[in-house]
Amino acid sequence: MKIKINNQEYEARAGETIYQVCQKNRIKIPTLCSLKDFHEGLCRICVVEQNGKLITSCNKQVSDGMEIATESEEVSRARRINLELLWSDHAGKCVTCKKNRKCELQDLAEEYKIENFHFVPRKEELTIGEELDLLKDNRLRVVVDEGNPAISRTTELCVECRRCINVCPTKEFGFNNRAGDVVVGTPYEKPLDCIFCGQCVKDCPVGAITDKNDLPKIIGELDDLKKMAVALVDPAILESVAFEQEEMDSKEKIVGVLQAIGFEKVFDLGFGMELMLEQMEKKIKDSPGKNIILGHCPSLNLYIQKYYPQFVENILNVANPDEIMAEHIKRDYAREQKINPDDIAVISISSCTAKKVSKSENLDYVITVRELGRIIRQKNIKLADIKQTDFNNELVRSLAPPGAKLLLNGKSAKNIIRTGGAAEILAKKTKAKYVVADGIEQIKNILNNLSKSRIETKIIEGMVCPGGCVNGGGQSRNFKF
Amino acid sequence: METEIKIITQNWGRINPQSIDEYIAAGGYQALFKFIKEMDPEIAVEEIKTSGLCGRGGAGFPTGLKLESVQKEKVTEKYFICNLDESEPGTYKDRMIAENDPHMLIEGIIIASLIVGAKKAFIYINGNYKKSAEILERAVGQAKQKVFLGPAILHSRYGLEIEIFEGAGAYICGEETALINSIEGKRGEPRMRPPFPTQSGLFGKPTAVNNAETIANIPWIIENGGAEFAKVGSKKSPGTKLFILDGAVKNRDVVEAPLGITLKELIDNYGGGIYAGKEFWFAQVGGSSGRLALEKDLEMKLEYDREAKIPLGSGAILVVDKMADIHELLLSWASFFRRESCGKCVPCREGTFRLWEIAKRLRDGEISDRDKAAIEDILWTLNNTTFCPLGKFAATAFGDALQYFPKEIYKLSK
Repeated sequence: MKIKINNQEYEARAGETIYQVCQKNRIKIPTLCSLKDFHEGLCRICVVEQNGKLITSCNKQVSDGMEIATESEEVSRARRINLELLWSDHAGKCVTCKKNRKCELQDLAEEYKIENFHFVPRKEELTIGEELDLLKDNRLRVVVDEGNPAISRTTELCVECRRCINVCPTKEFGFNNRAGDVVVGTPYEKPLDCIFCGQCVKDCPVGAITDKNDLPKIIGELDDLKKMAVALVDPAILESVAFEQEEMDSKEKIVGVLQAIGFEKVFDLGFGMELMLEQMEKKIKDSPGKNIILGHCPSLNLYIQKYYPQFVENILNVANPDEIMAEHIKRDYAREQKINPDDIAVISISSCTAKKVSKSENLDYVITVRELGRIIRQKNIKLADIKQTDFNNELVRSLAPPGAKLLLNGKSAKNIIRTGGAAEILAKKTKAKYVVADGIEQIKNILNNLSKSRIETKIIEGMVCPGGCVNGGGQSRNFKF
Repeated sequence: METEIKIITQNWGRINPQSIDEYIAAGGYQALFKFIKEMDPEIAVEEIKTSGLCGRGGAGFPTGLKLESVQKEKVTEKYFICNLDESEPGTYKDRMIAENDPHMLIEGIIIASLIVGAKKAFIYINGNYKKSAEILERAVGQAKQKVFLGPAILHSRYGLEIEIFEGAGAYICGEETALINSIEGKRGEPRMRPPFPTQSGLFGKPTAVNNAETIANIPWIIENGGAEFAKVGSKKSPGTKLFILDGAVKNRDVVEAPLGITLKELIDNYGGGIYAGKEFWFAQVGGSSGRLALEKDLEMKLEYDREAKIPLGSGAILVVDKMADIHELLLSWASFFRRESCGKCVPCREGTFRLWEIAKRLRDGEISDRDKAAIEDILWTLNNTTFCPLGKFAATAFGDALQYFPKEIYKLSK
C-alpha cells in the first residue's frame, strides 16, 4: 500500500507501524521508549500528526492512503512539552551521571532546545509546607540499589520508559506505586538478584541502570607506574566498540588505544577461548554422562542455579576464558617475566556483564564496552593520532608447547561468541550430538523438555543474550545486533 | 413535569433488596423468563438496538452495537463484565443500584451475557464497596438456588456463572481495558486500542464491558420492548438516568429523571432548588472529569450526544455557589488526578503532578507569570497527547475554570 509522509508517497506493508516505515525511509522520529520488539507508546515523544490529530507513530499501524506529517507546529509542541516534563524531573544531574554524553534524554533535550524549566518551582516561590512535601516526595520516589556486583540502579534518573521491564528475560522489574510516584523496581524493592545478563543496562536510555564498577580504582591501576595493567580483549567487543568511540574501527586501533590509556599488555581473549575449548573437549570425552550443559555463559549458570537447580550437576565445570588466561598471566607469565603477581592487574574487557559476578581472584576487574568508552572519554586522548598496534603474543608463545596444535586460529575464535559456535566445534571434535538454545525462551524450552526427559543428547549450549556474546549485555548501547 | 417513569429505581425502598422472593413478587425475573422462552439472542439485541440505550458510564456508546459486535464474534469463549468500579468523586449511583436492587442488576447481567454468548460474567466492583459486594454475593447465591444461574438456566440450553471481582479502588480501572488488565492480574493500566475489547478483551477473548446502570435497564427493555423504551426521555438518547445531585442544592440525593431534562429543571424539580441563601455560580456535570456549566447553560438538555458542549458523563451534578473557594476546588481536582493517574505515559504522570504543584501555589496565592504559561502547556499536552482519556479528563474542569474565571483564580497572584 501507499502512504503519504510529509506530502511524499512511500511504499508500506500492512502490519507495519508508521515508525517502522519512517525508519526504513530514513525519516527521523525521536523516541525514548521504543525498542526493536516493544512499542508501548508511553513517552509520547514519537507523536506525529494525522488529520490534525496527534497519534503515536510507534504503535499505530499504517493503513492505505494514510497521510502523516512527522513535523508540524503541534508535533514539535507536544514533543517539547513532554520532553520538558521529563527533563524538569531530571535536570541538573548530568555532570555526575555515568551516562553523560551518552544519554538519549540529554540528546533529545539538546535537539529540542529544552532551555527553560517553567514547570519547576523556584526556591523563593515555595512555602515551607511545599518544601517539606518536595523533600518527602523525593525520598519516596528514589530507590537506589547497589547491592550486587554487576548492575547499579537509581530511580532518580529513571524516565519510566519500561524498556528494562520489557527486555528483561527473567522479568525482574515492574512498575511500583502509581501516578507521579511511579518507580521502576523489583517486587517490594528487594535488592536485585537476577542472572545479570545486562540487557537492561544496554537498553536504558538514561543513567537509571548502569554498570556497577570501580572506575576510579581501575583508572588508578592504569595510571600507577608500579603496576602492570593487562587487558584481555574479548573478540565480541570488536564489533561494538566503534559505537562508543567512532575512531576505534579496527582491531589494531583498539589495541593502540588501550595501550595509550595505560595498559602495558593487551592480549586477545580468543586464546583463552581456545584453552577453554580444549578443557571442555577433554572433559566431554572423559565424561560418560549425557546432556552436558556447557557452562561458558555465566548468566545461564546463574539461571540454572536459580530456576532449575536440578540441572546444576549437568553444567560442565570449566572456568571462563578470562579466568584461565588470568591464572596463566599471574602464575606462568609472571614467573617467566619475573614480575610479582601482586603488581599485575588483569582487566577483562568484555561484552558480558554477568562475568562481573563470577570473576575469580586472579581476574581483578571485568569492564564492559561502555565502561571502556567512559575511561577513554575521561582520559581525553586524541584518538586520531594513535598508531595501530597488534596484540601482544608473548603469552601464546610462552604457554603453547612447541609444535602443539591449537584448536582454532585467532579467526575462528569469533565463532564461539555467537550462539552455537562452541557446541558445534566440540561436537565435531567429540563426534557427539548437540542442541543449541538461543535466548531465554529457547533455554526454558530445552530445560523444560529436559525435565520431562524428552531430550537426549550429549552437548547442550545455551546463551541468555539472544544471538550470543556478540549481542551481550555489555556491548555499546548504540550497537544494534 | 411529565408523568414520571421509573425504570431503575422502581423497586427502591419498596422491596427488601436481600430477598429474591420480594423481587420476583414485584415482577422481577420476568424478563429472563421471556428471554429464554420467547427470544433468540439476535432478536434480543435488535430490541436493545431499537431502544437506543447507550452506555451510562460516561461515554454514551450505543449498548446494542457493543453487545452485537461481541455476539457476532465466532468464538465459543466470551466474557461479559459489569463495570461497578465507580470511582468518580461524588458518584455513587451504581452503588445505590447494587444496594437497593441487586437482583435487577443480576437479571440484567444474565440476559446481557446470554445475548453475547458469554458463559462467564464478572462483576468488577470497587474494592471500597465492601457492603455492596456482600449484598451482590448473597443475591448471586439466591439466583443460583432459583436456577437463574448455573449450567442450565431454567433448565434451558443456556448456562452462566457470575463471579464478583473486587478491585482495589483505582480510578483508572473504570476504563475498560485497564479493568480487563486488573481482572487478569496485571497492573491496572489501559491497553492499546485496537484491538478493541469486543474483539480481544479478557484473556484475549471477545468481551463486553458495560456499566452497571446500563445493565440495570436491560430487563425493562426486554420486558416492555425496545420501542417502548425509545419513547422515554430524549430522542437522541432515550431512557431515564440516575443523577447524583450534590453541592448547593436542597436535596442531595440520587434521583431518576428522564434524559433530555434541562439542568435547571433537574436542580429545581428534583433537587428542590438552590439551598436557601446561596447563589448559583456554576455546576460541574459528570464528576471530577466533567465540564462546567454556567448560568447561561442552565437550559441545556442533559443527554448523551457526541456533539454536546457539555457531556453528561456519569451523571454527577455538583452545584457550586458563589461562596465556594475556587482555589480549593482546583486543588481538589488536581490532587485527585495526581493521585489516580496510573503513571504509564509521560504527559499524564508528570503533567498531573506539576499541575497539582501549581494548584497548591494557586491556593497560596504565589503564582507567577511563568506558572500561567506552564498551566497552559500542561493542559494542552494532557488534552492532546495522553495514552488514554484520563489525561483529557484531568485537563477538562481545570481548563474550563481557567477559561471562565481567570479573574477569580488569578486574583491573589503576585
